[in-house]
Amino acid sequence: MPREMDELQTVWLGLKAHIEQLAAERQQYLEVFEQAPDAYLVTNAEGTIVEVNGAAVDLLQRRKAQVRGRPLPVFIAPERRPGFRSRLARLAAGDRAADRRWRSLLDSRGVRIEVSVTARVIQPPGGGICWLLQPAA
Amino acid sequence: MAGKPPEWLATTVGAVRELMMRRLEAASLDDQSRRETERALEELDVMWEELQGQAAQLARENERYAQFFEFAPDAYLISDAGGNIREANQAALELFRAARGDLVGRSLDGLIADDERAAFLTRSLGVMIGSAAVAPPWQANVRTLEGSTLRVEFSVRAIPLKESGIGGVCWLLRPAR
Repeated sequence: MPREMDELQTVWLGLKAHIEQLAAERQQYLEVFEQAPDAYLVTNAEGTIVEVNGAAVDLLQRRKAQVRGRPLPVFIAPERRPGFRSRLARLAAGDRAADRRWRSLLDSRGVRIEVSVTARVIQPPGGGICWLLQPAA
Repeated sequence: MAGKPPEWLATTVGAVRELMMRRLEAASLDDQSRRETERALEELDVMWEELQGQAAQLARENERYAQFFEFAPDAYLISDAGGNIREANQAALELFRAARGDLVGRSLDGLIADDERAAFLTRSLGVMIGSAAVAPPWQANVRTLEGSTLRVEFSVRAIPLKESGIGGVCWLLRPAR
């Protein structure tokens, strides 16, 4: 059955090349996200964290599994949460005026960290929000 | 659907499948050959199903990270090792006040103020030629495509490009404060 084996090998090599190409595409963007010097998070439009990079894990002092799936406001100091939620709601509603930098206070395992928050809505609206958290100088 | 195997691959798999099915239907096949062909057909089906699953998952992950790049809160450019811009995200387009087509394909050093170009190349050279993974952040004046000057802080690191994993450079630009 040598002919079928040749054909199977051709198919296998083609499959392998396709997977490698997809993996290379993912790797480029993955590295931009993961190797960034500052904390990046991605939430859905409601503020639930769907992805978090290494710098964010360090800032929040938690493992990725402890952060993913949780609402971002729970990591904000309680007294600042109403304001944060209000901003989040405006971002989700597509208010571009909310799409700017502001200061907030993280509560990271009892340690308070003043941070500069920058948010950008993924278009079209409803696609989620990208967040940058930088400890304030 | 993003990540779907290319058409030629689906056609090849279909053709090989058909070939094997015809052999199985042929009365002339002996028992051993029949078993080998059946096994090969089964392997082909399993391989194809696994590929489609893997491809769909990679495509989903790629979409997620690609979306982050496009809508990141920071301006990002991705260039090849020669400094030619391959990709620019939304924040970068806003920073340079440019349409994507005006940035992609352009040499990045052409966007640096004339009197700072030599210093820019010196600072980024290590990452561009692959002798360093990152360069210490530095500030420089850039020219927007409208002709105004903006002072930005550059952070640079090496990344694999999505085309065959060859070396590229990721440029993070933030307005200097």
